[in-house]
Amino acid sequence: MSVQMRKILESKREMRQRLASLPFAEKVKLLEQLRDRSVAIAASGLKKSLASPG
Amino acid sequence: MKATLAIINQMQAAGVIGRYAIGGAVGATFYLEPVATLDIDVFVSFQQVGLLLTASPIYEYLTARGFKAEKEYIIIGKWPVQFLPPGNALVEEALALAVETELEGVRAWVMTAEHLTAIALQTGRAKDFARILQFIESGALDADRLDQILARHGLLAKWEQFGQKFLEGNS
Repeated sequence: MSVQMRKILESKREMRQRLASLPFAEKVKLLEQLRDRSVAIAASGLKKSLASPG
Repeated sequence: MKATLAIINQMQAAGVIGRYAIGGAVGATFYLEPVATLDIDVFVSFQQVGLLLTASPIYEYLTARGFKAEKEYIIIGKWPVQFLPPGNALVEEALALAVETELEGVRAWVMTAEHLTAIALQTGRAKDFARILQFIESGALDADRLDQILARHGLLAKWEQFGQKFLEGNS
């Protein structure tokens, strides 16, 4: 594994740990944002067009 | 989600449901980083009518108050909620031993990290295995407690297989 890739993975791990250590109420707010984003993507048809290009 | 939990608590106070426990991705979020999900899995003991377990009282209570049922979900606030019966001894235990938490002043019960891990192992889909790896990496698990749960529910061999497949050679 390259040094750069190792740094990327370490940085991702740190971000996950930081998010995991947030209070539950703050994590729920993030969950709600993620849900709204997923619903918006589904409603846009973007997922469908990406799944079957052309 | 606060409003959703408040309604579920009202239903509990009204005697429609007994103890409940949040599982699935929302339950896991109590311990891990948030993971995108569209619904809330709420495990609850269903009433027994004759030989059948039925969720009818839940649906009747909620639809009478204007909440809409969509497929297997009931939309409460902004969240589709799926009410699930325990189904087996492991989930029954997870329901019984759920931990109390609070979301902005609203009480809620969430399955323990060890039970969520054991249930994920038992369910065994790719996303369940990914969640187990997240739990391991997070350090949120009490290894002794998890071992006891896995032993009680006949999951030690499956845990061994999981370890061989996903953990060996990654240290």
